[in-house]
Order: sequence, then structure tokens, then C-alpha cells
Amino acid sequence: MPSVVELVQSLVNGVGIGLVYGLIAIGFCVIYNASGIVNFAQGVFVMLGGMFAYSFLVTLKWPLALAAAASIIVVAGIGVLVQIFIIRPMWERKAPMFAIILATLAVQLLIEQIVILTMGDQPRTYPEFTLGGPLKLGPIAIGYQLFWVLGCGALMVVLLQLFFNKTRVGRALRACSQNREAAALLGIPVGGMLMLSFALSAGLGAAAGILITPTQYTAYSVGAPFGVNGFISAIIGGFGSAPAALAGGILLGVVQSAAIVVFGAGYKNVIALTVLLIVLLFFPKGLFGGLAKKH
Amino acid sequence: MTLPSSISTRLGQHGYLAVGGAILLGLLFVFVFVRGGYLLTVMQLAMIYGVFCIGLNFFMGYTGQASFGQNAFAALGGYGTAVLCVQYGWEPILALFASMAISGVASVVVGYPTLRLRGHYLAMATFALGLITYDISVQWQSVTQGYMGYSGIPPLGIGPFTVEDERWKLVVLMVIVLFGLWISGRLRNSRFGRALRAISTSELGASALGIRISHYKLAAFVIAALYASAAGSLFAHVVGFISPEVFGAQMVIVTFTMLYVGGVGTVLGPAIGAVIASLLPEIVRSTGRFQDIAYALVLILLLIYVPKGLSALFGIGRPRPAKTTNPGS
Repeated sequence: MPSVVELVQSLVNGVGIGLVYGLIAIGFCVIYNASGIVNFAQGVFVMLGGMFAYSFLVTLKWPLALAAAASIIVVAGIGVLVQIFIIRPMWERKAPMFAIILATLAVQLLIEQIVILTMGDQPRTYPEFTLGGPLKLGPIAIGYQLFWVLGCGALMVVLLQLFFNKTRVGRALRACSQNREAAALLGIPVGGMLMLSFALSAGLGAAAGILITPTQYTAYSVGAPFGVNGFISAIIGGFGSAPAALAGGILLGVVQSAAIVVFGAGYKNVIALTVLLIVLLFFPKGLFGGLAKKH
Repeated sequence: MTLPSSISTRLGQHGYLAVGGAILLGLLFVFVFVRGGYLLTVMQLAMIYGVFCIGLNFFMGYTGQASFGQNAFAALGGYGTAVLCVQYGWEPILALFASMAISGVASVVVGYPTLRLRGHYLAMATFALGLITYDISVQWQSVTQGYMGYSGIPPLGIGPFTVEDERWKLVVLMVIVLFGLWISGRLRNSRFGRALRAISTSELGASALGIRISHYKLAAFVIAALYASAAGSLFAHVVGFISPEVFGAQMVIVTFTMLYVGGVGTVLGPAIGAVIASLLPEIVRSTGRFQDIAYALVLILLLIYVPKGLSALFGIGRPRPAKTTNPGS
């Protein structure tokens, strides 16, 4: 049996990775609530965020803030391109749901292969934002990057809440999620909102990737696991609000980290997917209620 | 939303195209037989994928449900065969049927709760099944030998008769594909098949007609799993080696491309798609690393512009309206 220290340490690590899952999950929810589409290529934005940040930060030696902002903007642009060239034509042709899912999976494969061709298949990483550490609390070590993840994650959630509740554009997005036809009748450009939702969720994914890369690494293949775990978090949270998705992510991260301690690192995805199946079967609306139910 | 049903029982004006396609396919096989060599292997794999796709077509095409995790059952079949033949020295044909039985039971156990889900949830749950199976096949080393995989799996055969010659292997696989197609064609137009297609058109309508939706969905899922398991076993016997990568997520993309190239919901579509999609990468082989990119691009273009598959475009194999789900529902 693992000791208490090991469990607490895994809990701390789990909160960090769970926050990242939560950010990805919010990305899923933003697109899903605006369009009813689940973008299975969400994880690719996480990978791209880390990759571009590495290029700007290490290769071009830009300052951190500039590199992070630039990568978020570039990845958001890629999200818009995906929406314009792949999602919108299918959307306008009323393609069946699983055809769109399949197309987003193909997008993932496509982008991964392009990354291999242009940047190679070597894993990369860059230093933590604040050097030094980890912070020692007795036998438990907390890396400084965790505080960056916590701080930026909280900041983004607050900003998103303000955006969705206070701004006209955010309210328009929510109107689309409730009833697209009514939103269109009220003069909201539904197509533009769909594009915005892709930009937003790609940017969120990129931010998650930039934050998490220093604690692990990024390579062309990290997208799929991040995407799957983010989606599981979104399901646990119930595809409702941003805080619910974030809570789902943290829950998943903690369970997964505990599972690594108990069963070994190899089974972490098996555990996550088993959690998913259990939640799907017994709580089909998510643990925190589907606040934005689709009809 | 339902599309008007445009099922034609005659070959109609497209009949000549269909016949021409069949002749072309026949010529292709003759060419492969005479030429031999690497093309034989490509066609063998195409036939194995064909078996997989014919099964997937039951669930995706006829019944209109989405399963992104059928590779789980192919893995079960492949590993069942490998373990039974290599560790316990079973007869290949017995191992194949035993693995199919295991997959059948597994698909009932897994499908019964999972198939209550719909839409994205069903897609994600089935996708999860495939991923779980992949991880287990990597991690459970005492049984699966992890990344190393199994080698030295004996070729297909019954008793003293084994199929070792590459050309004979292809013949056997072709016979199996034809048998699979025959079952698919017969079932499609049976009471059972009509019930499945009714579900794909409208679940409400089907249940109003007295069709027990959950039972029929499960039956289609089990049939798909049996085909997938057989495909996995055949792969193990024909290639003689399996590893987790064989049944990875890549398999999902490849088989879906085949299904869409051929035509979802048609009888012959899956087999035609498997042949075309297997040959295409060989033709553009000169592009080397661009092969996967080409695969993904072709699939995306097909999904956007020809969502019912190429054979629907040419009217081969009696196209029928594919399932239309509103993305929002």
C-alpha cells in the first residue's frame, strides 16, 4: 500500500494536471454549447500550444509573455481555419453527427503528421516559468509551475464567466447554445459565433498546453490523451458551465494520480476511461448536472 | 429528419457501371495473381480489413449507430488466436472460432449497458473501449507480451492442411470475404435487416412498428464484433505477427475511410472500399511520409462532398439513404 505522503503528493500533482484537463474540457463545452459539435481534435490544440510556445521561446528567444500570447493567437487562428474549411462545409450540408466526429479525428491525424514533417517527432520541453523550487511542505514537494497553472487557470475561468455573463458577445454565444433558430431570428450571426467558439476553445487549449509543457514535455502525439481526458472531464462535469467542467477535470486528475500510485503509471488511461464509462452509465447528465441541456 | 427512400431493386441505368466495376475488380485480382510479390500482401490485408468493414457496416450502415471502438474486438480476436495457438497449441480454426465466441460474449457484456447511450456519448464510450483495450494489450504483459507482440503464429489451416502459399492465402481470404458479403446481403434483406434499417431511419417509427430497438442494436453490435474478431484472427494467421499497434486508434481511421470510400450501408461498399483504400496508398507510395496526410485529406474530402461514399455516387450496390442525425440532437 502506498504511504500517506505518496497519496498527498499524488493529490497535489493531480490537482495540477486536473486543472489542465479542466481547461481543455471548457474548450469542449464552448464549441458543444455553441453548435452541438464535439471537436475530437481538441487535444491537438494543446499540443500545438506547447509546440509553438517552444518555437517562440527557445528557438526565437522571445520573452515568455510574448511567446505565450503569440502561440495562443496562432493556435486560435488554426482553430478558425479548421472551422472554415472542414466544420462549416459539413455543417451547411447537415452532415450526420458521427461524420463530423470522424472529420475532427481526421483533422487530428492530419495536424499530427504535419507537425512531424515540419518539426520532427522529438519530444521537447522548456523551463518552468519561475525557476527554482520545488516548494517543500514537509515531505511534500510542490513545483512552482503548479502555482502558475492554478493562477492562470483560475484567472481564465473568471474571465470566461465574465465574458459569458457580462459581455454582449458572450451572451450571444449562450443564446446560440440555448436555441440557434431563435438566436438567428434575434439577429445574432450564428455562423460567426461558431467561428468564435472554435477560436476561443483553440486558444484555451493552447493556453493549457503552454502551462503544462514545463512539467512534462510536448510531442506530436500528446494531443490525443489530453483530448480524451479533457472530454472525459467535460462529461463528468456535464457539459454545463465552465466551473463544472473545471471541477470535472480536477476530479479526474486527482483520481488518475491516485490510480498511478496504486496501480502503476501504465494503467492511468485505463482508469480514466473506466471512470468515464461509469459516469456515462450511471450519471448520463454528468456529476454536476447538465445545466445547459440540449433539446 | 428522414430522407426520402430511393431504394431501387433493379440495377437501373447504373447497372453497366456496376458490371464494369466488377470486371475491373476481377481484372485487378488476375493482375495481382500473375504479378505476385508485395501486391499479394496488400490485397490480403485489404481482404482482412474487408471482413472488418462488412461487420462494422452492420452497426454503422444498416443500423445507423456510431462505434469508434470495434478495433477492441479485432484485438480480442487477434490476441485470442495468438495466445491459444502459440501458448496452448490449439488448431488455428478452433482458435478462430473460440476467439469469436469470446468476442461475442464480450460484446454482449459491454454492449448491453453502452448501447443505451446515444450520439456523442455512444461515440465516446465506444472510442474509450478501443483505447482501454489498446492500453491493456500494452500493459498486461504476462498475457499479451506488451509492445513486443506475438510472433510465430501458425498459418490458417484445418488439421494437416495448412495454407502457406501467399496466393492460396489470398484465395482463402477472398472466399471468406465473399461468404461474409453473402451473409451481409442475406441478412440485410431479411426481416432482421429490415428492422435494423428501420431503426436507422427513425427509432421512434421503428419502435412504433413493434421493433425492440435495444435488442436489435445489440444484435447488430454483436455481429459487428464477431466480424471484427474474425478479422483480427485472420490478421494474426496471415501475417504471423501481432502487436498492440496493429489494433490501435489508427485502425479506426483506416476502416472508417474504407467504409466511407465504399459507401456506408451498401452491401458491397465495405469490400470495395477496403480494396480501393488499400491500393491508394500503394499508388501514391512515392510520396512516402505524406501517406497518412493523404489518407486524412481523402477522408475529410469524402466526408464533406460524398458523405454516402463513392459507391453511392456511382449507384453500385443499391445505395440507400444513410442515417441523418442532426448534429445538435
